[in-house]
Amino acid sequence: MRRHTNVTRTPRAFRFIRQSAIGGAVAAIALSAASVAGAAAPTIPAPPSSAVTVAETGSSLLYPLWNLWQPVYSHQYPSVTISTASTGSGAGISQTLAGTANIGASDAYLAPAQVQANKNALNIPLAISSQFIAYNVPGVKNLKLSGNVIAQIYQGSITKWNAAPIAKLNKGVTLPSTPIVTVHRADGSGDTFIFSQFMSATNSTWNTKIPIGTTIPWPTVSGALAETGNSGMLSGCSATPGCIAYIGVSYLQKAQAANLGEALLQNAKGQFVLPTTATVTAAAASFTAKTPKSGAISMINSSAKGAYPIINYEYAIVLANQPSSTTASAIRSLLTWAISPAQGSSTTFLNSVNFVPLPAKVVTQSIAQIKKIK
Amino acid sequence: MPADGTPVGAVPIGVHGPSPSSAGQPPRGPTPWGRIANLARRNEETGWRVAGRIAVVLPLAALLFAITILAIKAWPSIRVNGFHFLTGSAWAPGSTYGSIIKTDGVSHPQGSSYGAWPLILGTIQTSVIAVVIALPISIGAAFAITERLPRSAARVLGFTVELLAGVPSVVFGLWGILTLGPFLAQNVYPHIANVMPDVPVLRYFRSPTGHGEGLLTGGIVLAIMIIPIITATTRDLLRQVPSLPKEGASSLGMTEWEVARSVTLPWVRSGVIGATVLGLGRAIGETIALAMVTGSIIQVAPNIYSPMTTIAATIISQLDSAQTDATGFAISALAEAALILAVISVVVNVIARMIINRTSRLGANA
Amino acid sequence: MTTTRWRSISTWLFKLGAYLALLAVLVPAVWLIGGVVARAVPNFEWDVLWTPTQGTNGGLENAILGTFVLMFGVLIVAGSIGVLAGIHLAELSRPRKSGKASGGIFRLAIEVLSGFPSIVLGYVAYVALVVGLNWHFGILPAVLTLSVLVIPYIAKGTESALRQVPNGYREGAVALGISTGRTLRTIVLKAALPGIATGLLLALAISGGETAPLLLTAGWTNQLPSFHLINQPVAYLTYPVYTFYNDPSHHAQVLSYDAALLLIVLVLGLLVSARVIVARTQRHSEAGA
Repeated sequence: MRRHTNVTRTPRAFRFIRQSAIGGAVAAIALSAASVAGAAAPTIPAPPSSAVTVAETGSSLLYPLWNLWQPVYSHQYPSVTISTASTGSGAGISQTLAGTANIGASDAYLAPAQVQANKNALNIPLAISSQFIAYNVPGVKNLKLSGNVIAQIYQGSITKWNAAPIAKLNKGVTLPSTPIVTVHRADGSGDTFIFSQFMSATNSTWNTKIPIGTTIPWPTVSGALAETGNSGMLSGCSATPGCIAYIGVSYLQKAQAANLGEALLQNAKGQFVLPTTATVTAAAASFTAKTPKSGAISMINSSAKGAYPIINYEYAIVLANQPSSTTASAIRSLLTWAISPAQGSSTTFLNSVNFVPLPAKVVTQSIAQIKKIK
Repeated sequence: MPADGTPVGAVPIGVHGPSPSSAGQPPRGPTPWGRIANLARRNEETGWRVAGRIAVVLPLAALLFAITILAIKAWPSIRVNGFHFLTGSAWAPGSTYGSIIKTDGVSHPQGSSYGAWPLILGTIQTSVIAVVIALPISIGAAFAITERLPRSAARVLGFTVELLAGVPSVVFGLWGILTLGPFLAQNVYPHIANVMPDVPVLRYFRSPTGHGEGLLTGGIVLAIMIIPIITATTRDLLRQVPSLPKEGASSLGMTEWEVARSVTLPWVRSGVIGATVLGLGRAIGETIALAMVTGSIIQVAPNIYSPMTTIAATIISQLDSAQTDATGFAISALAEAALILAVISVVVNVIARMIINRTSRLGANA
Repeated sequence: MTTTRWRSISTWLFKLGAYLALLAVLVPAVWLIGGVVARAVPNFEWDVLWTPTQGTNGGLENAILGTFVLMFGVLIVAGSIGVLAGIHLAELSRPRKSGKASGGIFRLAIEVLSGFPSIVLGYVAYVALVVGLNWHFGILPAVLTLSVLVIPYIAKGTESALRQVPNGYREGAVALGISTGRTLRTIVLKAALPGIATGLLLALAISGGETAPLLLTAGWTNQLPSFHLINQPVAYLTYPVYTFYNDPSHHAQVLSYDAALLLIVLVLGLLVSARVIVARTQRHSEAGA
């Protein structure tokens, strides 16, 4: 076997296309950096010049973004090799805490018990994402749903699409009598975490009976399906007429291409909203001041006007005490690059996954956390 | 080597020191390397014995090590969940983001309680379905290969069976979930469900027929995975049936079916049972194909097409999320499930061995 | 119905049943392999063989080399231990007076281990080696786990190959005054080599096709395998089959089917090699003992 270097043997055409795409991305970043006036642009520390590997694993919501970041960062800093994997936020957290991965991507912040057991674990916000509710009911567009109704669906008290509670929210829309097939995540999932927070916030029965978490005891509903990863939710729901599923916003375009509908969710003010930059930013703004230094805060069901109810910070779970200082240095460089508005958090990257950049205050807090990694 | 009967080792060959320059002097004896070579030759057998002994102990050591680790890890769960683990149906991780409580000295999240009955039942159900489907097919196929087909066709078929045996289980899972499952759900299950009356046992086969991920699909995929083992073993056993009794029966006027039923099958019965139990052992431990095809829902399947799960499939799909429970309680529950699986597997395999050993002893004495 | 009628019908049913059963074995086999080929071949690009994976893009070079490295490691570790154990069971352990096979509890442990669930072994390795000894994901914990899994097959194959070596060889060697160790090494093992090789190839096929224990001990990486045996995850072909098949990106799905195709080709290669070895030795072997 040959000793690994960062040079891969790819055919020339492929390399040309890839390099010009990267070059185009770099140029676009430079342009957008110039247009971002007054934003905190952190100086990105350079990683060590010796070859170092950084293993990232975890959230399937954040996975598409990591796959966009990895080639660009490695192009700028060839000494760092990044491995990415989509294993679910639960695995992202647990593998990082166990030391088998360097960076755990997670939509969920650490549990108090986990913080207690791992005093040097950090959850560093990287970006703001959201979650949409997909449905497979052909012919029905712009379906309106509320958290309360969704909770009843997932508990089995509403079983058909033309049930009264759904019809009440969607006056004038012809709903079929198709049975509803609920789809949930089988693996430890940050999407489950924020979904369960939304359910608890909007339905009192759910709140009393079902705890929040990356794995929860799903109520037994006839015909329910379990899938692995956001991609599983997407493929399972598009193959199942009548399904409803909670999917991370980075899969929105793919869901629409698979003819899945995107539900308008009722927020705390009673408005029905889709996850757009405006609605997500409005929701995030209401939590910015309250975001603690650790970054751990739930941003579900904001009471701001025009806010989208299911948003969250995307976290990088990292241990502050790294076994090797070269790895620590590479991680610091990578994470700073990722949250820098001129680099990883530029609109080019975030728009492709429908994320929203961190507010300046949270960027500063994240930088402070990143500096703790040694 | 001296062929005149001189005992080995008395004359070390080729290891003399350099001959003395002047003739007539006695040989100087073996060089240091020569001594080592002598030692090596004399002790070679001991070397093989020692190495062999160490090697043969290792599997037992590995088995005992595995069971010990499982028992240690499972202890907190055994303590808190108790007997309820085997009978309860609720797999509740509890409030992982909430408070931690202590029961019997074990800290675990509030509300966490594990019942593995759906997992255990699911393992038994898929394995039984697999054996029920695989056994007649394997015996029939083995008969076809050994008795009915010409040699060349038999060789091709034997090769196909071996190929099927070697296909990785994840490829079976891929085919099951992408091709077989949807095919069965669209073309086979609805027809079966439509003809089933609403009576106690057959009720299990009625609608809803789902989308292909479930108990029956899992059982069918598992059956296809264990057919090669049983077929190959049955084929070898059938080949060993002495032809004399068969020819005698045939010359007495018995039809092929009667010969098979009265002569061949009784001869191979124990061996086939042993092979089936071995296949059952494999089915019990099957992980990846079932994780992909059964739908991974922790519930007792309400009908035969519904998603469910097995112990092995649950372990692989829940392990990462179990680790987010900082108290380690969820991991302990999975370890207890793994321990149960290990014990079931050991028991089934020991029974299989006993049956097979009884057969070979009977065969040797016949 | 007369007895004769029933007898001829039952025979006809029996023959039909046998052929139907045969069909029931062939159809899934052809459907499975055909299905994988049909999905993989139209989208196959040779680049996949020498480009490593990059997220959900790229190729499978890291996985192919990783699988080979793991199989090689299993060959060394499990091969040596399994062959030695087989030798012990066949040649060196004392036979029981009752005529039962020798080896007692060790033999039983080997038999039991051969049906043991691989996920349990993987879990134990994860707890004891990956986390317990802080090895994290790596070639070493993966190879050790796979070896424990396949040692029983190698041991049993070696033992049966050794038992088939005619006793005349051993008796002749004793008559010539050759030491037991040397007999074993130069005569008996050489004669049993084809059978041993078949057992080794079977073990390689099993270890190349495993997924669950590798998920827990080898992790996954985009990099090619290195000389680091611990603290460095390694790629393997079964991972993309398991994780990429339902990824929304078409390229990732293609990688999944390609990996499945490569796995089938690998198994086919090992199978054919085993048959070639058996055929070669049958040509050269003497007739009778």
